Amino acid sequence: MKRFSILAFALISTLANAAGGEFVLSGADLHTVSHGVIEKGEILVRDGKIAALGARVDAPAGVQRIALDGKQVYPGLIASDSLLGLTEVDAVRATVDMAESGAINPNARALVAIDADSELLPVARSNGVLTVHVVPRPSEDGLLTGQSALVKLDGWTWEDMSLVASVGVHLAWPSTRTPPWLPAQAQEKAAEAARRKFAAIDTAFREARSYQAARKQNPQSPTDLRWEAMLPVLEGKQPLFVHANEAVQIREALALAQREKLRLVLVGGMDAWHFADTLKARGIPVILGSSHQLPQRRWESYDSVYTAAGKLAAAGVRLAIANEGGASDERNLPYQAASYAAFGLGRDAALRAITLGPAEILGVDQRLGSLDVGKDATLFVADGDALENFTKVERAWIQGREVDMSNKQTRLYEKYRGKYQGKPRN
Amino acid sequence: MATARKRLWGVLAGLACATAAGMAAAVQLPNANPVEGLRDNTPGFIALTQARLVVKPGQVIENGTLVMRDGVIVSAKAGGEIPAGALAIDLGGKTVFAGFIDANSEYAQSSEPAPASAAPPAAAPYTPAPQQGARHWSSKVRPERDVSRTLKPDPKKAETLRRLGFTSVLSAPDKGVFRGQSALVTLGDSIRLNEVLLKPRVAQHLAFEMSKFPSAEYPSSLMGAVALVRQTWYDAIWQRDYQAWAQRQSNPPRAEANLALDALQDSLAGRQPVVFSAEDELDYARVFALAQEFGLKLVLAGNGREYRDLARIKAAAVPVIVPLNFPEAPAVEDPERALELSLADLESWEWAPFNARRLAESGIPFAFTATGLKKPEEQFWANLRKAVSSGLDEQYALAALTVQPAALLGLGQRLGSLEPGRAAQLVVADADLFRSDKARIYESWIDGRRYVLADAAAPDPRGSWNLQWSGVQGPATLEISGELNELLAKAGDQSFPVVLDNRRLTLYPAGSLLGQRTERFPVSLQLDGGSAEGRGLIDGTREFRLSATQTAPKPRAPAKPPGVPALPSDEARFPAGEFGRAAPPKVQNVIVRHATIWTQSGQGKLEDADLAVADGRIVAVGKGLKAPAGAIEIDARGKHVAPGIIDTHSHMAVAKGVNEGTHAVTSEVRIGDALDPTDMTVYRQLAGGVTAAQLLHGSANPIGGQSQTIKLRWGEDADGLRFAAAPPSIKFALGENVKQSNWGPQFNQRYPQTRMGVEQIDLDSLLAAQDYLAKPAKGAAPQRRDLRLEALAEVVQGKRVVHIHSYRQDEILAFARIAQRFKIQPVFQHILEGYKVADVLAQIGAGASGFSDWWAYKMEVKDAIPYNAALLQSQGVVASFNSDSDELGRRLNTEAAKAVKYGGMSETDALNLVTLNPARQMRVADRVGSLEPGKDADFVIWSASPLSALARVEQTWIDGRKYFDRDEDLAERTRIHQARERIIAKALPERIKALARKDKKDGEKKDDKPAAPNEEHVHGNEAVQYANLRGPYHNSEPVNTCSAQEAH
Repeated sequence: MKRFSILAFALISTLANAAGGEFVLSGADLHTVSHGVIEKGEILVRDGKIAALGARVDAPAGVQRIALDGKQVYPGLIASDSLLGLTEVDAVRATVDMAESGAINPNARALVAIDADSELLPVARSNGVLTVHVVPRPSEDGLLTGQSALVKLDGWTWEDMSLVASVGVHLAWPSTRTPPWLPAQAQEKAAEAARRKFAAIDTAFREARSYQAARKQNPQSPTDLRWEAMLPVLEGKQPLFVHANEAVQIREALALAQREKLRLVLVGGMDAWHFADTLKARGIPVILGSSHQLPQRRWESYDSVYTAAGKLAAAGVRLAIANEGGASDERNLPYQAASYAAFGLGRDAALRAITLGPAEILGVDQRLGSLDVGKDATLFVADGDALENFTKVERAWIQGREVDMSNKQTRLYEKYRGKYQGKPRN
Repeated sequence: MATARKRLWGVLAGLACATAAGMAAAVQLPNANPVEGLRDNTPGFIALTQARLVVKPGQVIENGTLVMRDGVIVSAKAGGEIPAGALAIDLGGKTVFAGFIDANSEYAQSSEPAPASAAPPAAAPYTPAPQQGARHWSSKVRPERDVSRTLKPDPKKAETLRRLGFTSVLSAPDKGVFRGQSALVTLGDSIRLNEVLLKPRVAQHLAFEMSKFPSAEYPSSLMGAVALVRQTWYDAIWQRDYQAWAQRQSNPPRAEANLALDALQDSLAGRQPVVFSAEDELDYARVFALAQEFGLKLVLAGNGREYRDLARIKAAAVPVIVPLNFPEAPAVEDPERALELSLADLESWEWAPFNARRLAESGIPFAFTATGLKKPEEQFWANLRKAVSSGLDEQYALAALTVQPAALLGLGQRLGSLEPGRAAQLVVADADLFRSDKARIYESWIDGRRYVLADAAAPDPRGSWNLQWSGVQGPATLEISGELNELLAKAGDQSFPVVLDNRRLTLYPAGSLLGQRTERFPVSLQLDGGSAEGRGLIDGTREFRLSATQTAPKPRAPAKPPGVPALPSDEARFPAGEFGRAAPPKVQNVIVRHATIWTQSGQGKLEDADLAVADGRIVAVGKGLKAPAGAIEIDARGKHVAPGIIDTHSHMAVAKGVNEGTHAVTSEVRIGDALDPTDMTVYRQLAGGVTAAQLLHGSANPIGGQSQTIKLRWGEDADGLRFAAAPPSIKFALGENVKQSNWGPQFNQRYPQTRMGVEQIDLDSLLAAQDYLAKPAKGAAPQRRDLRLEALAEVVQGKRVVHIHSYRQDEILAFARIAQRFKIQPVFQHILEGYKVADVLAQIGAGASGFSDWWAYKMEVKDAIPYNAALLQSQGVVASFNSDSDELGRRLNTEAAKAVKYGGMSETDALNLVTLNPARQMRVADRVGSLEPGKDADFVIWSASPLSALARVEQTWIDGRKYFDRDEDLAERTRIHQARERIIAKALPERIKALARKDKKDGEKKDDKPAAPNEEHVHGNEAVQYANLRGPYHNSEPVNTCSAQEAH
């Protein structure tokens, strides 16, 4: 497998195969994720779904065949903790809709603020990130930040894009960790702020429970949007995503989940491996944050972040890997997985953690995450190993519809190549 | 019942203490004051007898007599001869030491407030504010400040210090960079400075003080503070020379008056010592370098971690003032929270009590100070005794409080010992003062005045007594034991409290002991040597009497000198704690065989090839090479060898601020002054294959500071990191950061606020540098050495490379034209729109060093594209990728790989983006950047292709020394784990005790008000504002960056 292909940039001029169509991808190695690699295999796509796959598929005569000899086909990557659509230029406040004010916003819905025309979306898509879990962030005081949405990177509006309108409610666990070099007064301030936040979490769950009881007794009692949004979480129908990196945070979050009998998903989880057995025993999955982070503590080994995923996987913890590098960096999701792969997770598990792993945790593994019959034909073609930075993603389909791989950046590239070729500025 | 008794004793003991202080008559110092009322002619001729005299450390006279007259010691001799006419005072065998001196205290500072900085935080350029006096332009430079003009003696504070044994203190000015001149005062209880001032203007005091958020007065960084110190001394030199020149002229132009520069002349000429505070252990080298540059007579005000850099201090031959503020026991009680404790911090807790011992063993003269102790009355002796029990020789401890401080303050002939002619500053104490918590200080003497804390000659009632009762039936014998402030008596089977108040002893037996029905039956005795007469009342009406004789006295036995305990470790590592090195890696001749070698030279990529290294240089690259003499052989079959990665844009290993963003132009500041070789980032980046980096100033102002190029020689000190062959460079910046676009709405004043202004200030600064270079006429006034312009002059001379932070094509083009005008070839940093003007960059020979694919985090990067490097290269521009991030710096190899994807670069060209090309941009390509014979042996052994995201670094070599080895790293983790466990276990008991004390105190708080709600929080961004407080040995958490999400 030659990975260092030096291809001139090729703009895909025609997009084949609108949804509803039928076609076969043939000749590529199929990275199914669920059942290994099918070398030089075939996929039959029909009505946006994978109708068949294998070394050879039975396809109707005359069906369009797309030759992908020497290429690699992967299920679309799933960004499992993303800001895509909620921000355009981070430093420009007017373009940022990621964090509602106040502490308790379980009713806030990420879905409705996703800008389908964000220039950032096609950039992520062109590197194989085809499905995105868009997650609201905490404001200064933020605790319950809102409901996340799962969307595909294709559609005229957020409604078109929506796969799961509300995946669950997110809780940003307060940190008690402050740099030791902060002045004592600032330390005390931070500790006090954290104490008040803990109290606010307790209060929120108590009040939500009282609302739950009141509504049960009298369904006509007035609506409270905040506590209404908490009902699926309290009833265990939706997971509570707790964002926590530090051991102390994770310890406290685990205690809350047990107390309130919640379905917990841990997000971030730099220190989660300290609790690997507990997480496994209690069936709590982890959406692990970026590998491209520094160790938190001086004494930790240089690879302490890189090795975290491998430790969790070895303990049998269900795992997804996210990219916390921000919306504009979402295209680099596979390389976050790669650094975990290099330090103990291994290539296959790393790929799984950005495809089938998140599909399972987000409850869409019947539709997404692997190349299997019956699943959405959401997949991409690359000229090599998708975990490698030098690999080029060449084509992609979302639910059987081929997507445009050009974006603002490729357009600028072409424009300025033109400058040096003596073309007039247009 | 037991509790009630305890409470009673406590109250009684308290009463006894309250009356302890007293004093003898004063000796009148000669003075010029008119006599009010009667003259005071009390003679001051006194002999202290029955005394153990510690004349000076190591010289003891048992059973001696000390004679003083009018506050001056006349003699200190063995025997009991009392001169005729002298008042004899019996010290009852107690020990007399010379009074203690604190050589660096904040005693009785009446803070003379610095002139307020008129500017809002970093929002405006420096504008001279109306001021009092002909001062220096900076409020941090106040060397003219003279403590003896403002000090107001504080009798209460003086008494607190006397109780610790101090009789004199140096009152040092407390704020600023040049803080002013100190005064030596006695701790007599006069409120008139005239009486207590021993010497004014003893020393000039300096510290690297930075303005702290939200103030943004210059300097806001350590490197700015160093630069301010340096420039100010040069200014003092210039003023001296100017005045000398002016004297030779008939009508010289008048230079501006400047009292600050006047006040520095004594120190500059070596007539006045300079006490320079080292806030942390990295400051020693900085302070020594400055003292050497200006020939200062230096005293180092230390910080307690001198043991970490003994050789340097010893070599500097400088006396040190060391504090006794040991760190509190670390918070080890919660296992999850204990994760936060680094081995370096745990070690600094463990080692603190050994500091003084290590200084003494190294032969470094040092004095102690009580400064820095939160509660000196509890901590001073506790910690000093801890130092002694940790192996500090008692004589050194005494010296550090007497002869050493006297000598370093230049008063060795007047203070510090009991030799004739010295001032009679004395402290009378138990002989085991330095080793036993039970030892007491009885009195001190200052200027012939006696300050009594406890009666030195008071009889000790402890032991057995025979009792004869009259008027009541009582026990015939009595046993007294315990501490003097918590005595216990025992008669028959009864125990009861006893209170000693001076010479009065009061017993509180139960009435039953004397056949009475009362609960308590007080009996009061007057002690007189070994006998006592006592009395009391029965039923409050009838007197009884008691006569007692001490049959077997049992005074407290002095504690024996402790043995010398082992040091926590025999091995010194640098940096201390985790991943530190006990010794630098050896230079090794080495041959790496059978590797895929990325030479990044004309040889291209070689399969199954060898790399030969000798004496730190590459000897040959090729197939089947002969091994250099004595070479170790590394079989690298299946592995890849590539040149070390070079990062043109890093902010690692910089202490206390990468931005001196307070002024628009700060070319005088030097990153090299603020290197932090303890930054774990250095080691972590070695593990990512980085071998050299250019450490840049931030981008907060158009012209930042001077850069420092380093090799990542982890384990070396600051000087050891410097890459000597690299030419000097400097950071400039353009765009949003320098015009403060993202700093917040209040930042709208400082020039420049637009790209128009940025261009003009760059132009003007370079023109000023050209003017500076113009040769003055013969006989002209001495030219002021201006370090700001000097660095820029090097730029226009082509000696200093400009690395300029840039994004948009307009600003890039504007600076390119300035560069053309001054014939300089800058390297544009970031330059994310460089692809739009690649032709211009090629035309002027500029370099371009950027990110692979960062974009959209702020407006000026909205058009950034990952094809930038490919387009730049296609037009002939030398392009590179850099990190500007401690994290990204660990994986620049895979950043390079992206250039294969975006724009189709060859593998070799892609790897050049992080090896050879940065070397060319940093003008070090003749030494590093490729694997060619003659170049430095800076190379990395990778487990797979360096462009692969799955590759790991196995070894990193610099100068033929192996600085990183993954196998050694794994072994080191085990050591760290064990060492942390050991010290945590050791700290736990002390921590639990401290928590119990805290609980008790919290419980005692009467009105435990709930904390007031506070709307301010410390969040991520705010913490960054404190980043310039971050000392060494931090967690290397990211605070230093000039681009990513912006250091606002």
